[in-house]
Amino acid sequence: MANETVAKVKVDPRDAKLSMAHFFVAFSALALGGLMGLLQTLVRSGKWELPWGIDYYQVLTVHGVLLGLVLTTFFIMGFQYAAVSRTTGGHSNAARRLGWIGFWIMLIGTLMAATMILLKEASVLYTFYAPLKAHWIFYLGLTFVVVGSWIDGAAQIMTYAKWRKNNPGQPSPLLSFMAVINTVMWIVATLGVAATVLFQLLPWSLGLVDTVDVLVSRTLFWYFGHPLVYFWLLPAYMCWYAIIPKIIGGKIFSDSLARLSFILFLLFSIPVGFHHQLTEPGIDPAWKFLQVILTFMVVIPSLMTAFSLFATFERYGRSKGATGLFGWFRVLPWNDARFTVPFIGMAAFIPAGAGGIINASNQMDQVVHNTIWITGHFHLTLATSVVLTFFGISYWLIPHLTGRKLTKAMNKLAIIQAWVWFIGMTFMSGAMHFEGLLGGPRRSAFSTYGGAKQAAEWIPYQVAQAVGGSILFLGIILVLIIFVNLAFFAPKGEEEFPVAEAEDNAEKAPMVFENWKLWLGITAALILFAYTIPFIDIIQNAPPGSKGFQTWNKW
Amino acid sequence: MAKAELKTKQKTVIEDKSSLKGTLASVFFVGAFIIVTWVGVYYLFLERF
Repeated sequence: MANETVAKVKVDPRDAKLSMAHFFVAFSALALGGLMGLLQTLVRSGKWELPWGIDYYQVLTVHGVLLGLVLTTFFIMGFQYAAVSRTTGGHSNAARRLGWIGFWIMLIGTLMAATMILLKEASVLYTFYAPLKAHWIFYLGLTFVVVGSWIDGAAQIMTYAKWRKNNPGQPSPLLSFMAVINTVMWIVATLGVAATVLFQLLPWSLGLVDTVDVLVSRTLFWYFGHPLVYFWLLPAYMCWYAIIPKIIGGKIFSDSLARLSFILFLLFSIPVGFHHQLTEPGIDPAWKFLQVILTFMVVIPSLMTAFSLFATFERYGRSKGATGLFGWFRVLPWNDARFTVPFIGMAAFIPAGAGGIINASNQMDQVVHNTIWITGHFHLTLATSVVLTFFGISYWLIPHLTGRKLTKAMNKLAIIQAWVWFIGMTFMSGAMHFEGLLGGPRRSAFSTYGGAKQAAEWIPYQVAQAVGGSILFLGIILVLIIFVNLAFFAPKGEEEFPVAEAEDNAEKAPMVFENWKLWLGITAALILFAYTIPFIDIIQNAPPGSKGFQTWNKW
Repeated sequence: MAKAELKTKQKTVIEDKSSLKGTLASVFFVGAFIIVTWVGVYYLFLERF
């Protein structure tokens, strides 16, 4: 009976509308960005060439920007906005207005950047490393996306603050707490990319200054770039910790453990950008070493998460009478797409996380740096773990927001979709990992490198990537079919927004977790500790700045 | 009937419902996977550099 009351708790329809607006942009980005991914793998197989003078690097930029930046940011903001609405009782009119303003600014920014990429004015890939120089409208568009996301995030923080004010001494709802941690981490992290864009790349692309300090811009980018991957991952963790237990009919293993792991992510995912710059000259190795240690601290909340999820599953299985070491595994609801789709994502995080630890280790980074292993790695983390969880969320959230039902047929198609994705990614990401270990470079169009023997070794793996990419594109078509069905055609009804409860309701999360002064203070202290001295060093001992380069053919 | 039951030699194993043995085994598996892949690439590094 209690379940029925919970099932009727709905996201306010006015909030639902804003969330859906985010999802329409996100899934449009998925359609176009996914197509670009298919084209890339076909080009790299060496069997096919792009028509009409379209450049490989232009296609690569569209793919990275649309999937890495647009799909993720819009989906995450839409999901978190709905999660905060659902667990706090809804946004105020002021917060909702703010949310819409943020959404429109992000959309305008996206269109500005996309236009410049399509006009071949910005084939600088999604990392837009200087000294590759794009049109200033591209950088301004990205600025709009970031500023819009701050405003969008501010709406969530406002609603959280209002809830805290109305419920003094109470720990906030877990999903809202998690959404706010992720938003705060995003705001702190994006300060870095905002700094490089506003103070370096915009004046330089506008012609106000002639040169750019490449190392400063890359350092500011990676100050942002690593927490960016956690900004993608934490919403998936929100689903794994606080939603999946409800879907399977179990309980959250520990509410406090979940909160602690999110706080650890806030603390340790920012002061670690140097592990992306291990091969870069100009940064003192001692500071690289320090940031590598901080990077390894992130292993702790990751393994806490793994433990907590296994424990949730085992407890549930045993409550259903499962026995033996792994009996609980069999009784999980494998026919429910809302569980199975994110579960495949969770499983993918085991090799994805293991790969990440290799990347962050100084010596081993020399084996894999700038090889397609890295591309394979983030196609496991982002493009499997995170994205499959996002798909899994959509399968109940979209019908919840549109007042429809996930039908049995769509549920089945969703499970098929996830397996198609898994198979495609095993081929593509697997081949990328192995090719990377053989030295195959990332960010490279098809080339035989002057008939080099080593390059010939890579080609079979590139063909395997094209096979995997084609299967994945089929997966994208299936997702889009399900999305359109759930948004417009599925039968009217009520789909639950599942929110799990902790195992022991008497256990109240310690209020220290909501002490923002403390956590923001430690976050700031760690960032200042890890960055201040090396950053001064980078600026003081800077080589002459670089002029801009445009390595691609314009239209 | 009661006597027959008393005579049965089969032990009834009652598993603790709160047991987390499977969780322990699973996290050990994850840890082992991480170590094996790490050591594998470390050997590649030693061979090449």
